[in-house]
Amino acid sequence: MTASVGAADTSGRAALPDAGSAGAPEAPPTTTSDSAQPASAAADRRATTGTPGTPGPFGAPVTLPRRLGRLVLIALAYYLGARLGLGLSLVGNDVTPLWPPTGIAVAALVVVGRSYWPAVAVAALAVNLPLSATPLAAGVTAIGNTLAPVVAVTLLRRVGFRRELDRQRDAMAIVFLGALASMLVSATIGSATLLVSGSITTAQVPAAWAVWWTGDAMGVLTVAPFLLCLPLFWEQRRWPWRQWLEGSTVLVAATAVIAAASLTELPVLFLALPVLGWAAWRLQLRGAAPAALIAAVLATWSAAHMIGPFRGMTLLEQMVTLQSFNACVALTSFFLAALVSERLQTAAALGAATSELERRVERRTAQLSAANTRLVQEIQERAEAQELLSHEEARARREHQIAETLQRSLLPDRLPDVPGIALAARYVPATADVQVGGDWYDVVQLPGGLLGLAIGDVAGHGLQAAATMVQVRMALRAYALQDPSPPAVMRGVHQLVSQLPVPEMVTLTYLLFDPAARRLRWSNAGHPPALTVVDGVGSYLTGALSPPVGVTADGSFTEGGAELPPGATLLLYTDGLIERRGVSLTDGLDRLRREVAAAPPGDGLEALCDRLLDTFLDEEHIEDDVAILVMRPAVAVDGELDLRLPAEARNLVQVRSALRRWLRESGVVDEDTNEVLVACGEACANVVQHAYSEQASSGELVVEARLEGDHLEVRVRDHGHWRPAAERGGGWGLQLMHALVDDVSVDHAVGGTEVRLRRHVGLEVRP
Amino acid sequence: MSELARVDTTRTGTTQHVSLTGELDLSNARALTDALAHAVPDDVTLVVLDLTGTTYVDSAAIASLFRLSQRLRDRRQDLRLVVPSGSPIRAVVELTRLGQVIPVDESAPGLTDAPTTYAAFPPPGAASQPPPTPPSVPTEPTSTVVDDDGGQRSG
Repeated sequence: MTASVGAADTSGRAALPDAGSAGAPEAPPTTTSDSAQPASAAADRRATTGTPGTPGPFGAPVTLPRRLGRLVLIALAYYLGARLGLGLSLVGNDVTPLWPPTGIAVAALVVVGRSYWPAVAVAALAVNLPLSATPLAAGVTAIGNTLAPVVAVTLLRRVGFRRELDRQRDAMAIVFLGALASMLVSATIGSATLLVSGSITTAQVPAAWAVWWTGDAMGVLTVAPFLLCLPLFWEQRRWPWRQWLEGSTVLVAATAVIAAASLTELPVLFLALPVLGWAAWRLQLRGAAPAALIAAVLATWSAAHMIGPFRGMTLLEQMVTLQSFNACVALTSFFLAALVSERLQTAAALGAATSELERRVERRTAQLSAANTRLVQEIQERAEAQELLSHEEARARREHQIAETLQRSLLPDRLPDVPGIALAARYVPATADVQVGGDWYDVVQLPGGLLGLAIGDVAGHGLQAAATMVQVRMALRAYALQDPSPPAVMRGVHQLVSQLPVPEMVTLTYLLFDPAARRLRWSNAGHPPALTVVDGVGSYLTGALSPPVGVTADGSFTEGGAELPPGATLLLYTDGLIERRGVSLTDGLDRLRREVAAAPPGDGLEALCDRLLDTFLDEEHIEDDVAILVMRPAVAVDGELDLRLPAEARNLVQVRSALRRWLRESGVVDEDTNEVLVACGEACANVVQHAYSEQASSGELVVEARLEGDHLEVRVRDHGHWRPAAERGGGWGLQLMHALVDDVSVDHAVGGTEVRLRRHVGLEVRP
Repeated sequence: MSELARVDTTRTGTTQHVSLTGELDLSNARALTDALAHAVPDDVTLVVLDLTGTTYVDSAAIASLFRLSQRLRDRRQDLRLVVPSGSPIRAVVELTRLGQVIPVDESAPGLTDAPTTYAAFPPPGAASQPPPTPPSVPTEPTSTVVDDDGGQRSG
């Protein structure tokens, strides 16, 4: 028991001892912990059973002496209140318009608990004994007087009354339940007792009942709030001196107003109401309740003494006036005080909510600010990274450009003009997001009318690959000049690549074409095989294949051979042309062969190149560099040779090469061929030296040859203007021509000069 | 540009062997023979120009050979040519009567099997040669590739 009491004590503060269930949840949040709920329930149970030892109103455990002291104090207060009430009776001791003890009893039982009812009972009995006809009547009346407060407190407890009287519902509760309803009990019992004991007649019962009821009710309305407000002076926020001053002023003003109304003839009694309103407005219950008590007591006193506004009134008039005044006083003060309290609480709650909101906003703002700072930092870091990246990108792009420029500048600007042989080439760099590769091709004119063709691919990309490509290409030219045979050239390149500071894998196909013999010789180091198309039939030069140069220790290369007749096509390419994701190399090769073989025979090589690039490359994205090189020996047109070249010394070898091939294909024996070559060469050399000497740029050299039977005619023409013979000097040229052919005629005309060489030639016997 | 001819040189004692492979015409003859004349060391007494591998000569080439012969003779150096009987250039050599000025042999005199150097590199012997006694003649590499448009053709 004591343990549970202790537990209840710590949490049951400010709650009605008998109304724990109602009071605790509505107590100010600052004084109630979360554990209040079960503790309140315990208090409620105790209150219901009426167990002695209930904790006091202010939390301290109530010891027996203290309880007895309280009982005595309550009884004494009740008794004194009764004496005061009797002093205020209107007619002798019979009619008391204000019965303070009832208010004292209600307030006491509200504050300390209903278990203190015996004090009320004893005091009531003591009050009533001298007044009643019989002791029994006094006892019954006392019972009624005790029962009424107990009922009042019970009812108040049920509706969750708070003795702070700071809500309108509390004001309503004490007016209608605590006063008007509960006092029906005492009034009825008291009136009945008076009737039964013979003190009043039946006709007097309604008046007696009404007086009793209003007196008790007024006692509750005026006294109980005053008593209830007293604990607030130390329970709630202490008053500063200014409020004490204000409260005192209110009391003085109320007293002064009532006194003025009572002592003079002026009807100013109701001026008390504004004063009370002011007190309630400014000081709430603590200001209003004392003022209301004083006003009610003084008014009642005036009525009892028939002075002031009550002078000359009948009893009924007095009662009505006094009770209505007292009701106004009580209601004004309580309701206004409760209203203002509620408003203040709302304001405080609102203020708390506002500050809580502000606190949250601040906290959130701080969080947001931190997040923002973090974000800004991240953005900055990202921007820095981005800058670094774009710097890197710019560098890579620059290197890409350099490599591409380098590669383009090192590929042949234009292919050599080789009479009787058509050549075309393409180089397509990879799309810009991929680095430049090391694809390259070259065409080298070699002694004896031979033609060297090469295509290769240096593994890797960028400047390094481009640089290697350049070295390989230059070396290949030099080696081909020294010994044009394919294995020899490949050996040389292999040695060079092996000795590079950074060894690279280089695939390379080198072919040597002898136009006169129509022979193709080649070596292939790991490169996709060259393709030939002869009479619409495509075949790959798959033989003579060895690993890429630079990867094996020994540089031994074999040689393959094939015939390439006039009109046939030779295609060299790099893997970028045929390699596609998801397409096997075999499929790519098959497709290439079909495409080239299907090309219209009339199309030139330029058209063929364009067609291949269109067919095999995706314009949007070219993954790897592509180089292609095509060659096609021209078909002799109607057995006649027709060459047109710039009249330059370097082209003399082209003329010889073409003429030599033509003569051989025409079946002219070698010995005669050599002599014709010299004669024709002399005629051409004359054109080169003399025809265009007065012009800044060289003109055209035309060589035509025709064979009818064994009769050969070679015409060498120009469109220039020869210098006079005297200035020419040297006579061997013409001498040689005359010596080597049967007939030489020189025809100078305005539009140019034509040298005609005629001779019989020996022809090979053909099968 | 066409690489028409290649020159290989070897030296045996006081004899300089120069082997010329390829074709010699208006485009490259003069530049080649001029370079040859420069390249022959002064202490050489005989230059053997082997035209076995030469497949074509025209009148401009013959003129250049005459010039070369003249320049060497001025330096007291002899020039001999090697032109095999079946050579494609035999007809031109005979027709121009080159042999009347420069001795022409059908085969090269017996050479020791000295290593052959190739274009653009000096022969091993060249660098170890003592400096020429008359310093007035500049020493140049004794072997050269001569292209057409060699820049020495006079207008």
